[in-house]
Amino acid sequence: MLIFWLLIIPLVTAGICVFIPKHSISKYVSIAGSFITFVYNIVLNCIAYKYHTLQGFDGFFYLDSLSILSTQIVSLVGFAAALYSSGYMEAELHDGEFSEKKLRWYYFLFHMFIFTMLSVCVCNNLGIMWVAMEATTLATTFLVGFYNKKPHHEAAWKYIIICTVGITLALFGVILTYHSAKGTLGGIGYALNWSELLKEADRFEPHLIRLAFLFILVGYGTKAGLAPMHTWLPDAHSQAPSPISALFSGVLLNCSMYGIIRYHILASKCVGAEYSGTLLMIFGFISILVSVPFIIVQKDFKRLLAFSSIEHIGIIALGFGFGGMYGVYGAGLHAFSHAIVKSLLFFCAGNVFLKYKTREIDNIKGAIKIIPVTGVMFLIGIFAITGTPPFNIFLSEFLILADGFSSGRPLAIIFCSLVTIALVLIFVGFVYNMFKMIFGFSEPNPEKGEVSKFTIVAMGFLLFFVLVVSIYVPPFLNKILQDIYNIVRNV
Amino acid sequence: MTHQIIVNSRTIDILAVLMLMSTIVLIGSSRLRVCIWAYALRSFVLALVSGLIAYFSGIHHIYVATGVSIALKVIVIPGFLFYIINKIKIKEDVESFINYTLSLFIACGLILIAYYSTQSILTFENVFMRHCLPVSLAITLLGFFVMISRKKAITQILGLLAMEDGLFFAALSTSYGMPLVVELGVFFDILVSVIIMGIYVYRIKETFDTIDTDTLRELRE
Repeated sequence: MLIFWLLIIPLVTAGICVFIPKHSISKYVSIAGSFITFVYNIVLNCIAYKYHTLQGFDGFFYLDSLSILSTQIVSLVGFAAALYSSGYMEAELHDGEFSEKKLRWYYFLFHMFIFTMLSVCVCNNLGIMWVAMEATTLATTFLVGFYNKKPHHEAAWKYIIICTVGITLALFGVILTYHSAKGTLGGIGYALNWSELLKEADRFEPHLIRLAFLFILVGYGTKAGLAPMHTWLPDAHSQAPSPISALFSGVLLNCSMYGIIRYHILASKCVGAEYSGTLLMIFGFISILVSVPFIIVQKDFKRLLAFSSIEHIGIIALGFGFGGMYGVYGAGLHAFSHAIVKSLLFFCAGNVFLKYKTREIDNIKGAIKIIPVTGVMFLIGIFAITGTPPFNIFLSEFLILADGFSSGRPLAIIFCSLVTIALVLIFVGFVYNMFKMIFGFSEPNPEKGEVSKFTIVAMGFLLFFVLVVSIYVPPFLNKILQDIYNIVRNV
Repeated sequence: MTHQIIVNSRTIDILAVLMLMSTIVLIGSSRLRVCIWAYALRSFVLALVSGLIAYFSGIHHIYVATGVSIALKVIVIPGFLFYIINKIKIKEDVESFINYTLSLFIACGLILIAYYSTQSILTFENVFMRHCLPVSLAITLLGFFVMISRKKAITQILGLLAMEDGLFFAALSTSYGMPLVVELGVFFDILVSVIIMGIYVYRIKETFDTIDTDTLRELRE
């Protein structure tokens, strides 16, 4: 019942937002709703943390450390994005990008999006998890195409077609899992419950589970943005409103990864961690490599950030693929760090876009003089995302690579060596492109001054977490990450 | 009892072949309306299979799925697709990147692949699904092929629906369908996704003045 309310809050917020025509009121409703979700989620997670796992509705909901991390990312970035939205969308409304009437639907879909992502993380039933995963696509298609112009329609169409095909393939994986479980668990309703499946996983038919994991990896991997199924991602991320891009990058990709990891655990118990781990490693490695050239030669800064997301989801996949203590711990930490840093960067990018009205890197100069607060945060974000030492992403990348090198598997060592080079190239590409925007000087520049206070508050909120995790890993997070390792290794 | 199972599985085999044929119509036909009718026919046959399985297995909740399936996939979704193509007044012809003869050859190849690739799984399965799993995989592959080879946005929707039909058939034939709550959720998702895609077909027609997805190539590096 406790978990049930976590899903009800965003649903009710969405319902209220759609009936409020005035943006001056609906923005506060939206912020309040996401704040309550955020606080309630912390309380819920503390309870779940205390009892180790939490179940609800006869095993329909299930909360363990893996879901705690995911819901925490959803609600934290969700709250920041709601704060940011109110400032960002107000500025766009002021510029006449869309009517106030239409903005209601933005908030409705925004909270539906949060609702569907939370459902993915807390549903025990793998079939319902699939339904929720598809629902995230459905909730966000109109958000990608929100501005109703040619490129937005194109991005939205590609997004819904590619993701739906991917998800449909994943359904085959779900069906195969159900079929192989049916022999041991019988055809009852809970035969798709993850916690029940895990108990019996070693008795499943290995052929079927191998095939099922492959379909799940390709299917949910499409949504996670793993290459070569990533083609929708740069388009959707660059065309969606900035707060939505932040949610896509920081949260949606993690939710899809969460789905893959659940099956990875099942497959590991059934056929050994070697099979699914190697597949994760290969897909992660390809994703990192694919993103490198596009980051270096990129002309559009939102697309650049989108390709960086492909790279980071690749690193997370690599970490889970290596499967050692450091790898899994690092992957979990990386998921959290990447979510907050990338959202911060998308918020900065949104502010730059509001000021300059362009996404072309070459047309933007001297952002740090025009919008000083955003400029400084942008600079911090760039160093954080490229894994420069004081920041948290350095730690997680270091842990993951160390795990790969120390595992002694030739494939892992080759991957790690190449990834190290790729990371350096990405750093160069990032700094080269972004410094052109942040520094420099050119006439005519837009007038000085930040666009909105709300956006600064939202960015400061995320920056606080970025700095805290950079200094040390809080004991709560540390414990959860260690627990995730135990869940993944099935100890 | 064994006699009944054999008769039962014969009937289902025939229905499976019917479904496969109506999917091939989707590939071989050059007229959009025919393709939508073929989809309605395939969904109807799928509903028949699920009704039969409900009757022979005595699992009552499959009847609910059958009913919902008839209402949604035989009536609502084809009706909606007809409504869309009437509303945007598109040309009837299906345009393809690959010509029809070659498409049909590729379709044959895909069916062979489906049979070949399921052989290893089938060795330990019962007689009942000997033809059902390959056919369902073939339908899924054919749907996928339609999605990548056809130009019109609306044929891509039909390809996606074929993929989903194939998977439903796989679920039915291997494990008597999924749990009811999951199945209803999947139906709901399919309905909403078809509606959203229909709306986008309309919007693309409005802004690009065509529904050839070939023209959607503004966003690239």
